[in-house]
Amino acid sequence: MLKKLAMPLVGVLAAIISLALVALGNPGNMGFCTACFLRDSAGAVGLHGAAAVQYLRPEVIGLVLGAFLISMARKEFAPRGGSAPITRFVLGFALMIGALIFLGCPTRMMLRIAGGDLNAIVGLFGFAAGIFGGIFFLNKGYSLKRTYEVAKTDGLLAPIVALILLALLIIVPGILNFSVQGPGSLRAPMWVALAAGLILGGAGFISRLCFIAGIRDSVLFRNFSMLGAFVAFIIVILVGNLILGSFNLGFEGQPVAHTDGLWNFMGMVLVGLCSVLLGGCPFRQVVLAGGGNSDSAITVLGMVAGAAFAHNFGMASSAEGVTNNGMVGFGVAFLVVIFIAIFNTFGKNRQRGGA
Amino acid sequence: MNKYIATFHSHFGAMSYFKALKKQGVAAAKIMPVPRKVSSSCGSCVSYEHNAPIDMDDCELDAIYQDSAEGLVCVLSTLF
Repeated sequence: MLKKLAMPLVGVLAAIISLALVALGNPGNMGFCTACFLRDSAGAVGLHGAAAVQYLRPEVIGLVLGAFLISMARKEFAPRGGSAPITRFVLGFALMIGALIFLGCPTRMMLRIAGGDLNAIVGLFGFAAGIFGGIFFLNKGYSLKRTYEVAKTDGLLAPIVALILLALLIIVPGILNFSVQGPGSLRAPMWVALAAGLILGGAGFISRLCFIAGIRDSVLFRNFSMLGAFVAFIIVILVGNLILGSFNLGFEGQPVAHTDGLWNFMGMVLVGLCSVLLGGCPFRQVVLAGGGNSDSAITVLGMVAGAAFAHNFGMASSAEGVTNNGMVGFGVAFLVVIFIAIFNTFGKNRQRGGA
Repeated sequence: MNKYIATFHSHFGAMSYFKALKKQGVAAAKIMPVPRKVSSSCGSCVSYEHNAPIDMDDCELDAIYQDSAEGLVCVLSTLF
C-alpha cells in the first residue's frame, strides 16, 4: 500500500513546495519551472540580455546539489556518460526553443493547468502528441547508444559548478544581472528557494520523478505509478490555488502566458518529443546531472544555450504572443530534431552492449 | 526456476529481448520500467523466470540481475 502511495506522495510534496514558492514571491504558476529558471540563470550570467528574465535561481542550484548529496548518502552517485553528448546538447537546445515558445517546461505546464490557464490544456495536447511521436521512434529502434562509466571528476563537475554559482550568488551578487521588473524580479527568498531546490533534488533523485514518464510509462508499459505523481501534483496545486485565491479560469490574462493556441500546442510538441528522445524532462535532466550523469549535464548546458539564443534572437514568446523569429526558430529546431530521431532510429547495426 | 531482471541501453533493445523470450516461450516474461532498487536512472527492463540468465547479442543488453534471498544480485554486466 505504502509503495503504491509513494509516487503520489512525491507529487504532493512537489506541489506543496511549488505553491509555497509562488506564495513567497516566485512568478505566478511558475513554482520551480526548470526551463524558466535555467533561462533566468542564463540571463543572470549575461548569456542573454533580456532584462526582464535575469536571476540566478537558487532552486536550480539546489536541485543539482540536493540530488548530489542524496546520491552520495545512498552510495548511488554514479559518474556515467559518453552517450552522444553533442546530440543531447542539440536536443536540450531545441527543447528550450519549444519551452520558450509555449512559456514553460512540463512542470510549468501542469502548474498553469492547475492555475486555471486553459492555454496550458492546449499545451498538454501538444505535449502528449510530442511524447507519442517520441514513443514511435523508441518502438522503431531509437537509441543514442550506450553510456559508459566515466572518471569521477566528470560526474563531480556539475555539483562543483553549482557550488561555484551559489558562492557567486551569496558572496558577490553584484557581478550578476538581477531583473528589477518582470518575471525575473519576482522571487522567493534566496534561502527558501535553495532549501526548496535541495529537497526537490533529493526527492527527485530517490523517486526518479519525471514529468514525461507519467504519460510515457502509461503508454509503453501500462505502468501508471509515475502518472500518479503527475495527477497528485495537479490536484494539490489546483486545491492550493483555490484556497489561496490564485485560481483564475480562462485563456486571457494568465501570468507569463500568451493565447496563441497553435503555438502553445507546437511549442509543447517539441518539448514532449525532445524529452522522450532525451529520456527525461528538464527537471529530471537537472537531477540526473547532480547524480553524476554527464550526459544530462551536457543536456542542461544545451538548454541554457537554447535559452540564451532564444532571447538573443527574439525567438522567445512573451505575454504579447509568439514572434516571427520564434516561428522560424521552431521550424529549424523541429527539422533538426526529426533528423536526429530518424538517423538514430533506422538502419543501425545493433551490437552487444550497443557499442 | 529463478527470477531475473535484464536491463538495456535502449527501449528497443528491451523490446527485442522481450520478443525473443516470448518466441522461446520463457515463463512470465514482462517488459516494464527498471525497478528503483536496481538503478537510480530510468529505462526499460524485462523480467522473466528461467533456470539460468539468458545472454543475448544484438539487443543492447546492459546487465542481468537475479532475484535471490539477498535481493537483486547482478549476475551479468556489460558495463566497462
